[in-house]
Amino acid sequence: MHPGFEPAQYDATPLPSTLERLLGNRFGQGWTPALGAAMASAGGARTWFDTQLASGPDRFFETSRGWWPSLTLSAAEIWRRDRDEVQPFWEAGFDHQRWCLARRIHSERPLLETMTDFWENLLHVPAAGEAEAFFRAAYGTGIRKRALGSFAELLRFSTTHPAMGCYLNLATSRKSAPNEDLARELLEVHTVGAGNFTEKDVVDSARILTGYRVDVWGTWAAAYDPGSHWTGAVQVLDFRHDNRAEDGRSVARAYLDHLARHPLTAERIARRLAVRFVADDPSPALVGLLSRTYRAHDTAIAPVLRALVDSAEFRRAAGRKVRLPEEDLVATYRVLGAGLRKPVDTDSAAHVSIWQCEALGLAPFRWPRPDGRPDAAASWTSTARVLQAFQMHLTMAGGWWPTKEIDLRPAASWLPEPTLRFDLLVDHLARSILGSASTSTLLKSACEAVQVEPDTTITSTHRVVRWGMPTLLSVFLDHPAHLTR
Amino acid sequence: MSSCAPGCPEYGRVSRRGFLTLAAGALAATTVFGDTVLQTAWSREGAAPAVLVVLSLRGAADGLNLVVPHADPAYWTARPRIAIPKDRLLAADAMFGLHPALAPLLPLWRDGRMAAVHATGLPAPNRSHFSAMEEIEDADPGSPARVGWLNRLVGRDGDTDPLHALHLGGPVPPTALLGPHPVGAAPAVDDIVLAGTDTGGPDDPRVRSLHTVWDGVPGPLGEGVRTAMRMVDDFGPVRATPVTPANGAAYPTSDLGRALAAAARTIRGDVGAEVITVDHGSWDMHADLGTVDRGDLRNMTADLASSLAAFFSDLGPVAEKVTVVTLSEFGRRVRENASMGLDHGHGNVMFLLGAGVKGGRYYGSWPGLTDTAQADLLVTRDYRSVLAEVVSSRFDASPAAVFPGVRLETIGAMAPR
Repeated sequence: MHPGFEPAQYDATPLPSTLERLLGNRFGQGWTPALGAAMASAGGARTWFDTQLASGPDRFFETSRGWWPSLTLSAAEIWRRDRDEVQPFWEAGFDHQRWCLARRIHSERPLLETMTDFWENLLHVPAAGEAEAFFRAAYGTGIRKRALGSFAELLRFSTTHPAMGCYLNLATSRKSAPNEDLARELLEVHTVGAGNFTEKDVVDSARILTGYRVDVWGTWAAAYDPGSHWTGAVQVLDFRHDNRAEDGRSVARAYLDHLARHPLTAERIARRLAVRFVADDPSPALVGLLSRTYRAHDTAIAPVLRALVDSAEFRRAAGRKVRLPEEDLVATYRVLGAGLRKPVDTDSAAHVSIWQCEALGLAPFRWPRPDGRPDAAASWTSTARVLQAFQMHLTMAGGWWPTKEIDLRPAASWLPEPTLRFDLLVDHLARSILGSASTSTLLKSACEAVQVEPDTTITSTHRVVRWGMPTLLSVFLDHPAHLTR
Repeated sequence: MSSCAPGCPEYGRVSRRGFLTLAAGALAATTVFGDTVLQTAWSREGAAPAVLVVLSLRGAADGLNLVVPHADPAYWTARPRIAIPKDRLLAADAMFGLHPALAPLLPLWRDGRMAAVHATGLPAPNRSHFSAMEEIEDADPGSPARVGWLNRLVGRDGDTDPLHALHLGGPVPPTALLGPHPVGAAPAVDDIVLAGTDTGGPDDPRVRSLHTVWDGVPGPLGEGVRTAMRMVDDFGPVRATPVTPANGAAYPTSDLGRALAAAARTIRGDVGAEVITVDHGSWDMHADLGTVDRGDLRNMTADLASSLAAFFSDLGPVAEKVTVVTLSEFGRRVRENASMGLDHGHGNVMFLLGAGVKGGRYYGSWPGLTDTAQADLLVTRDYRSVLAEVVSSRFDASPAAVFPGVRLETIGAMAPR
């Protein structure tokens, strides 16, 4: 306790339960009072989680899909628009990033968006300026459709999709010299993991996958070409096939199903889920539980997630994950009540959101290597990250950028009553922004930041409201409780 | 002015325990320099007598087309479409020649300030980008501790002063910098400021407010914030240097150009930067690698050469204390694949530029190439032998301490101290 800074309680603003806040921060794109209300009307936080796993209204997804024309165009149409100088093709990849950020901020299916993001990073295809940009939005939308289904289905989808084929060079692989790029990353990154396969496995993995071609930089037609498929006996790990048929699709399917169900894949997915949603160093017991659940349910995802959130380890894990740059940005929009509108030009908030994210260190799906962005605190606590996060928080709290097609709360709206002591205002803001009560440290920090006393009376004309609100809100946004989840 | 004086408890904690927290992970690219990452480790107080710039060509560059073994017949049979024609090679000797896109570096080569060491790499092949990068940068095969060779270099005298460490351009330092000495990071020189403060000094209301919250926060996040606030204080001399490159140096408008321009500015600011690492790439060209006149390899090579040439001209006389070494996690196959690219191989070439380099020639022992689908350039010189020679030539450091347990061979490419 800091002498002279005894925290006050503003009980008119409700406090969430630990589970409500935890589920909101891990699976709800960031707890907000509005999400808390949605959980309450669903019958509680845990019931809300189940309803989120089931299907439900998806209005924002459908609405926002119309915000960027490239999202629903075919690769050939994206290419034609590029040549007609309507939109450079790489902007199609950027549009997908923008759309995903907008959905995370506003969707009524935040858990679905969370799991879509999880799979899009495991089965990573960058959304940048290469051939894969032509297929990137379709790839992401297809992942989303399967994000709460089974991993076996996801793996069949991702491995044979033209976006992945373009990124890791399956699209141009031939039987005369099968390209090993995707064949290797499929084993190392998507399924069994490094150290669990040999170079001979990679060679046969490449042979099995030959045939899924794309006419890159031409028509962009994606089709299976039996003439490109390598035939002959193959063995990868304990998968064997005589692979005699010219059409190798059934071999590829059997191979991918085998990999999806492999115990090493189960272990790897289980660990990755635990690191994403529990802590950087999950216990072997938890990983084992999730791995067994995955195998017992034939790679189905929902039972694994239920086991995860019902584990004691999850319930104890509040605040143990550092927010990624994109999570920080999304949570900041949400908690400040900043609303995106349909973009009209390159200054619109929904358009510049990816540049805000990039300034923090990494925009969605821009990790430059197949292994997907890192997910542990050590990677996201660099001095660069910290300084840029503080910059973004202040800029958003001030409403200084972006300013177009964005709804922002007026400063006075953060004052819940016309007249309020500062220590009570701090508690109201702590409850509204952090979902936790004020502390002596928080109160002292807030007093220092805007240079008032705990008992100072704040009204809508006080300097704290008139020009100090960005600094005051930053006290909460720069707080450990906002930088973690 | 520093907001936490040497000797205060927090200061000691950052210096001794700051390690994995600030340095772990290996994130590339995406902030200001796009696909190029720049990071800096600071020496003890004040000026650095020698600066080492480690330029990592991420994704595994094709050393056989950068430094072409034109006298090896297998090179020509293995690469019918992508080989570099012999009459286009630069600085050719009886065995090797440089890719023509390296032309901007020819003056350095002719001045004896640039050399190449061929057939280098890890002793045994590791074709995974991710684990090879880690193995290369840890460079200590006998130890499970995640301490990178550059961290062992900057921490060689065992002092407990917090070596300021900064990483410009990308969010996370690489494995090579990992270790008990703290490493900082920033997107660009002018971004090393604390938002919403005028002076950043200890009496600034926002600085006081942040200290109140963060001084007691344990773990990597707390240490990251405290180190960031110190770095803002200590980086002033670099922010005060001109943004415009010196001596009319013209960097390409590429990520690498921007990163090296920031590196030059940091070196000129002379706040004690001893090790700077830059990650450049992707050089991972499984398909459409291109020919001598067009394509990805040609473009990346041209960017590499013109960025480095601009860097040395920007540094001017300061270049006398700066050595650059290039490194890839592994090399590429001898034979081109059906997609006109090259799959993952083993041996590679390393370039040495600047201070201490006995340049203008090719080093190493050529193993001869084999033209089969799986054939690699064999490794005849452990890459650590090359790095060790740089370390002992330029720093008062023991190669055995920086590369423990490695049998080091003489390359002869660096002038002894």
